[in-house]
Amino acid sequence: MRTVTLTIDSAEVTVPKGTSLLQAAEGLGIEVPHYCYHPGLTAPAQCRICLVEVEGAPKLQPSCVTMAEDGQVVRTDSDAALRMRKGVLEFYLVNHPLDCPICDMSGECMLQDYVFDEGREKGRSREPKRVFGRDDFGGDVLYYGDRCVMCTRCVRFMDEVARDSRLTVVERGSRAVIDTFFEEGLEGSPFAGNVVDICPVGALVSKDFLHKARAWDLDHTPSVCTSCSQGCNIELHTRDNLVQRLKPRANHEVNGHWMCDYGRANYEWYNRAGRLEEPSSGRGGKRRGGDWKSALEHLFVRLVELAGTEVRVVGSPSASVEALGALLALAEAAGGAASGVFRSRRAESEDPMPGFPLLVRRRDLAANVDGARLLGFERVGDDEAAGGLEEVAAHDGIVVVLGDELADQSADFGGEAALYVYMGHFDSPAAGNADFVLPITTAAEEEGTFVNAQGRVQRYWQGLQPLGAARPAWLVLGALAGALMGGGTPASAAKAFAALAAAHAPLEGLSHEALGELGVALAAEAAHG
Amino acid sequence: MSISVKVMKRPEAGRTSYMRATLRGMSLTLRHLVRPRSVTLEYPEEQPDLHPRWRGTHRMEVHADGRPKCVACGLCPTVCPANCIRLVGGEDDQGNRYPIVYEIDEFRCIFCGMCQEVCPVEAIHVGQHFENAEYTRDRFVYDLDRLMEQDHPVTDLWDPSDPRSE
Repeated sequence: MRTVTLTIDSAEVTVPKGTSLLQAAEGLGIEVPHYCYHPGLTAPAQCRICLVEVEGAPKLQPSCVTMAEDGQVVRTDSDAALRMRKGVLEFYLVNHPLDCPICDMSGECMLQDYVFDEGREKGRSREPKRVFGRDDFGGDVLYYGDRCVMCTRCVRFMDEVARDSRLTVVERGSRAVIDTFFEEGLEGSPFAGNVVDICPVGALVSKDFLHKARAWDLDHTPSVCTSCSQGCNIELHTRDNLVQRLKPRANHEVNGHWMCDYGRANYEWYNRAGRLEEPSSGRGGKRRGGDWKSALEHLFVRLVELAGTEVRVVGSPSASVEALGALLALAEAAGGAASGVFRSRRAESEDPMPGFPLLVRRRDLAANVDGARLLGFERVGDDEAAGGLEEVAAHDGIVVVLGDELADQSADFGGEAALYVYMGHFDSPAAGNADFVLPITTAAEEEGTFVNAQGRVQRYWQGLQPLGAARPAWLVLGALAGALMGGGTPASAAKAFAALAAAHAPLEGLSHEALGELGVALAAEAAHG
Repeated sequence: MSISVKVMKRPEAGRTSYMRATLRGMSLTLRHLVRPRSVTLEYPEEQPDLHPRWRGTHRMEVHADGRPKCVACGLCPTVCPANCIRLVGGEDDQGNRYPIVYEIDEFRCIFCGMCQEVCPVEAIHVGQHFENAEYTRDRFVYDLDRLMEQDHPVTDLWDPSDPRSE
């Protein structure tokens, strides 16, 4: 690869040929203001806010389209550049309503940030501002024309990435607005939600998030989308111990800067009421709530009594690799064969993103289908995650259900079982015969890893406090398996994963630390073997 | 560093006369008896003059049509050091952002006045008011309607360009 060496703000930097000045400056940690440039889109250089001084050039250069060259001397903070950017910002504010107090973007708005950093203290415009009001673009998107800076990121996103040209600029000059072509607007576009993320100001906002929380009030936790087996990297934005919204997190191997609207809208289940909150034991009407200590002690005693009995486990494709691994370890320790079944919902078709083909809304509508397969779980049942459990339902040995809500099963489920353990987020009619009902945490309340459809192992982090006495499944199962085998309880998800990686060849050599924020792809034959 | 102790000289018992001091005290008492200087305020018949920067219980300003001026921007619960403001924003039928829930726990409030200082639309104010007695504790959580009903004068906050309020 050919490289060029240049000087930016008296620091020397070497970058590959074809890198723009803006990206080169970013590598040095210097942020050049920009609106129309977005790393996932082409740069039309029309916002004129990224102007920098290049020695030898007669005028200031837009850094997003000026390519780095050998020996260039660039000043991003020279008097001329600052004066010019100040002027550009003043023009942006001529018609901007300055309604930050009621704008949903306030706190993460690039206009707010840049004006605060480099703009004029007071505006000089005396003329009345032009007013557009707001426009419903369909889908989840609202458009506030007054706040728009005409960067056309949204137009280019729909053209280049979604390849579904539904937005355009109409009119010219100060009358220019973004508009849709037809009545349906963005309705029905599976990726339109991304225009809200890339809008640098509050012009495009989400209807779902409108007035719900202030951006500066949200805690951000890196996570993985649980809606399909693509495993898009996301951020959970949480407040008051509730997930408020999901935002994509950049990962060029998986989802680029994007995510689909199906995954984006599917977060309410994290906040759903009616969760299991305390461990309980006893069948049917004899079920009594209790604490973890007594529940686990009694369960351990029963497992020891029934040592050698055949174990059937039902896993969940939404459970973490750690939890599924611990489930198999427990089944093995209790004397059964180390295999299990899982059921998952499947969509009728895949939905790839035309301009970023790596991102596909997969058929498997759960995050860890491939992780479950990798560990030896077998998929049963139909595409609605129903059926396939007849053998388990009538099994007379030990039955352990993890995470599957058994929505289609009758109250007779596990009636014959010598020991029936139900672990889940929600109670189920089919859990009536369970000897132990144990509450476990959701993906937002625990740490763990998923394996996505590309065979990529990805970590997610804890964003919420567990509800009630719910505990991560890897901890509960790990404690039981550890007690049976004499190995002790795993101290953390990382330790549980390390133990799993040592036992399962495809995961060999991996650890939470090695996975990092972006995950690691497994060797192709391991992922599909 | 050594510690130095100052020894106070005290009058010795039995060797000092208290007569002079007693007489001086009695004369002061007599003077007040003849020419009283009243400092007692006959509250509640008489009301005290509150300082212009007195910070008491809150008041929410309203528009002419009776809507609260608050736009639910969320700055006051963010800046509040006592965390006594609860705010849930929403949208009314005309598309205006407004507070669906706005509650101030006056027990928790430390009357610092930062909510008034930070408010971009001059909606929430601390007031020149101190008579807040109630029969139950929960009455001290003022909701939006109660805050809008308050009609006491609001506080003049410190103005950096006019530090002496002149």
